[in-house]
Amino acid sequence: MITFESVTKRYPGGTVAVDALDLEIPDGQTMVLVGPSGCGKTTSLRMINRLIDPSEGRIMLDGTDISTVEAPRLRRGIGYVIQQAGLFPHRTIEDNIATVPLLEGWNKAKARDRARELMDLVGLDANMARRYPYQLSGGQQQRVGVARALAADPPVLLMDEPFSAVDPIVRSSLQDELIRLQNELHKTVVLVTHDVEEAIKVGDQVAVFYPHGKIAQLDTPQHLLGSPADEYVENFLGFDRGIRRLAFFSAGQLDLETGTVLAADTTVEAARAAAQRCGEPWVLVTDGGNRQPQGWFAVSDLDRQPDRETLGSLSLPLAPLGHTFQVGRDSLRAALDATVLSRTGRAAGVDGDGRVVGITTYERLRAAIQTAEQAGLDGNPDQPAFREGRTTPEAQQAGADDAAEPAGEGVRPS
Amino acid sequence: MSYFSDAWNWLIASQNWHGSNGIPIRLAQHLEYTGLALIIALVIAIPAGLAMGHLRRGGFAVVTIANFGRALPTLGLLVLIFVLTSGSILSWLIPLVALAIPPMLVNTYEGVLGVDRELTDAARGMGMTEWQILRKAEIPVALPLILLGVRTSAIQVVATATIAAYIGLGGLGRYIIDGLARDEYNVVAGGAVVIILLALAVQGLFTLLRRVIVPAGLRGQAQNS
Amino acid sequence: MSWAWQNRDQIGHLLASHLYLALLPVLFGIVVAVPVGIMCVRWRWTWPPILSLTSIFYAMPSLALYLVLIAYTGLTDWTVIIPLTLFSLSVLIPNVVDGLRSVPPPVKQAAVAMGFGATRRTIQVELPLAVPVIIAGLRVATVSSISLVSVGQLIGIGGLGYLFTDGEQRDFTTEIWVGLILIILLALLFDGLLVLARRWLTPWEARAPRQERRRVVQVALRGANAGVKGGSI
Ligand SMILES: Nc1ncnc2c1ncn2[C@@H]1O[C@H](COP(=O)(O)OP(=O)(O)O)[C@@H](O)[C@H]1O
Ligand SMILES: [Mg+2]
Repeated sequence: MITFESVTKRYPGGTVAVDALDLEIPDGQTMVLVGPSGCGKTTSLRMINRLIDPSEGRIMLDGTDISTVEAPRLRRGIGYVIQQAGLFPHRTIEDNIATVPLLEGWNKAKARDRARELMDLVGLDANMARRYPYQLSGGQQQRVGVARALAADPPVLLMDEPFSAVDPIVRSSLQDELIRLQNELHKTVVLVTHDVEEAIKVGDQVAVFYPHGKIAQLDTPQHLLGSPADEYVENFLGFDRGIRRLAFFSAGQLDLETGTVLAADTTVEAARAAAQRCGEPWVLVTDGGNRQPQGWFAVSDLDRQPDRETLGSLSLPLAPLGHTFQVGRDSLRAALDATVLSRTGRAAGVDGDGRVVGITTYERLRAAIQTAEQAGLDGNPDQPAFREGRTTPEAQQAGADDAAEPAGEGVRPS
Repeated sequence: MSYFSDAWNWLIASQNWHGSNGIPIRLAQHLEYTGLALIIALVIAIPAGLAMGHLRRGGFAVVTIANFGRALPTLGLLVLIFVLTSGSILSWLIPLVALAIPPMLVNTYEGVLGVDRELTDAARGMGMTEWQILRKAEIPVALPLILLGVRTSAIQVVATATIAAYIGLGGLGRYIIDGLARDEYNVVAGGAVVIILLALAVQGLFTLLRRVIVPAGLRGQAQNS
Repeated sequence: MSWAWQNRDQIGHLLASHLYLALLPVLFGIVVAVPVGIMCVRWRWTWPPILSLTSIFYAMPSLALYLVLIAYTGLTDWTVIIPLTLFSLSVLIPNVVDGLRSVPPPVKQAAVAMGFGATRRTIQVELPLAVPVIIAGLRVATVSSISLVSVGQLIGIGGLGYLFTDGEQRDFTTEIWVGLILIILLALLFDGLLVLARRWLTPWEARAPRQERRRVVQVALRGANAGVKGGSI
């Protein structure tokens, strides 16, 4: 736990970069400090590893005032990642990563083994170990920076705009990587960014800063999007926060239509009956054995087809499947997106193996959003919220349940 | 400390301050040669450096000239040209000018090159002519380095003019060459002191000049002069 | 050129003594400049006075210094070696300091944040990263030193410079040409060797001849040693 106790930083010249900041950063979580440029994020961060000393107040790390710890020793226990990576140009990748272990007095072989381990962890190919930083792309250098910060397994990781210098695609994949790492490692991460999207995506907690070194709101991303504390925060978050917020609700909450998911060997007659029973204008055709979705038939088209033919044997072209969403993993936002993009106004939810779980429609989405909002507002804030792309134990469970209950089984002709 | 007492005695001896071999005359000659060589070099090197820097061309040539100028042994150049020109005025002027050009050229070129390219592009975008860009943006920014180049050349020419006494040039070098030839070590000692003082004076003069000429905001650029 | 071949023994001797007179000062220079440079970075207040000293030595005409030294060292090799060492120092010290300070801020910051103490940072990070800049300085010092030795001939200790005065007295151009060419070739040779040394010592640098040339120019521009050969003639 890192605690700021009314910390103020006044630079020579009078700029108050951080103004009486109180902040608790719980262990094992990602705390994001976000705000406009010059609002004091970097200053706050760098006071944690004593690259900057506060003018007033104190910072506690697990109950110890950090100003009482010798700076180099404190720093070796805190990983630090910066925008330009700051790799040592004269050391190979493995030696860069092994820097802190070597400082800590590990022997060279052990430190290098550790470096290889970390390269694997951050997704760097082992054959890069002997290269020099100039031979790596920006994204790869940044991965090395993260590996180096993690090398001595520090409980705390400070990151200052770690992904700002790379292009958007690489940035997004680095963010995913950070989320994946954090799922495994559960470090206390403090990440500084000016990018709200990034804050929402990677943060467990987000502290939004006013322009002059004060916190405007400290909250979980979904609460931040759901109820911004004031107009400043609302403007800072941007205009489509309603839709962005859906990213925090699991698609598993959808009540999916299963009655119109039909295997390819279903007869036209049975298909019409199923559609009528469900009141649906479209049926989803899956291939028989493993329920992979194929595409859609309009019921109005089926009316003109022979009763006894199976769906798979019709010469009628299928309407394209469109995007699917993964029920246990994706959010309502992904499900909505897939539905909006689909020609049929419907999207198929699949499980981890791509087998159809059920179908969603605008109506079903609306119902799910309503329930979710209700639950979200009344919900227990201590309960771990759903996060897109992260596998929480519950989500894994939900996926497994879906898979155990085969959809569309009932309408098979016997 | 017999060296410095010899030098001192020679310096204060009144006969050394009069006549055609007196210190004032020798100093004046020395400054005359130095000044002439510097002005000629200036007229050649500065426009060339400005042009190349402005066009961002000829970097390789500039660096090569600089390296070559550094490798070229002064004494060798002096005697070679002396022998080749059989003792005309060119025999000392050519080497002095040749040695004065590289520092000015390199510094001017690098100084102009040091101007932010985005700044010049922006100026061009606002409709400034090339000449205006050179005058309003590039020369002011390059000025500290140009001045340093001129200083370096000046110090170098002062020293080389001394050596040129070996091929018969007047100036302060006469004391040294003649003193050595006649084994008059007090003359040599005194001459050496005057030359050292002159070099330091030139150095000091340019430091002052820089205070006057270079805008305060740019002084950080070539701090160590 | 047949003259050069006939006199190869004498030229060989002159060449050896020339190298000895030119390179020893550079060797002394680098051995002193690195610790002094580190000191100037580590204790910043030592830098301004040392910088002033180096710029004074830089401006001193070497011939005048040779003459001053005769009184103390007599007509020995030291009369030439000491002023050239001072000259080397005046090129190398500012250069070492600049090299040590040229470490990119993010790299320095990362080092601090990882818990490097000041001394460890200087030796393990700043010094290795300064190597290219230091070698650029060595190139300038070496080439200048090789060409400056010949001035010592005016007091009778000048290596290949002998060919200049002898050629002048005998009005024999070939001899002067041979001296000039040999000195320039020596300078180029050692310059090239230093470039190779740089590549060998710093495998982490991308091969960039252009950058390397610029670096040498920057050395020449740098503060006290602005320009090409400067005042030490
Ligand atoms: N070393 C410094 N000296 C003086 N002012 C500084 C210094 N570092 C930062 N500042 C000022 O403090 C404020 C906060 O800076 P910083 O913490 O870097 O902001 P952020 O990281 O949020 O962009 C800014 O107004 C900045 O100009
Ligand atoms: Mg910042």
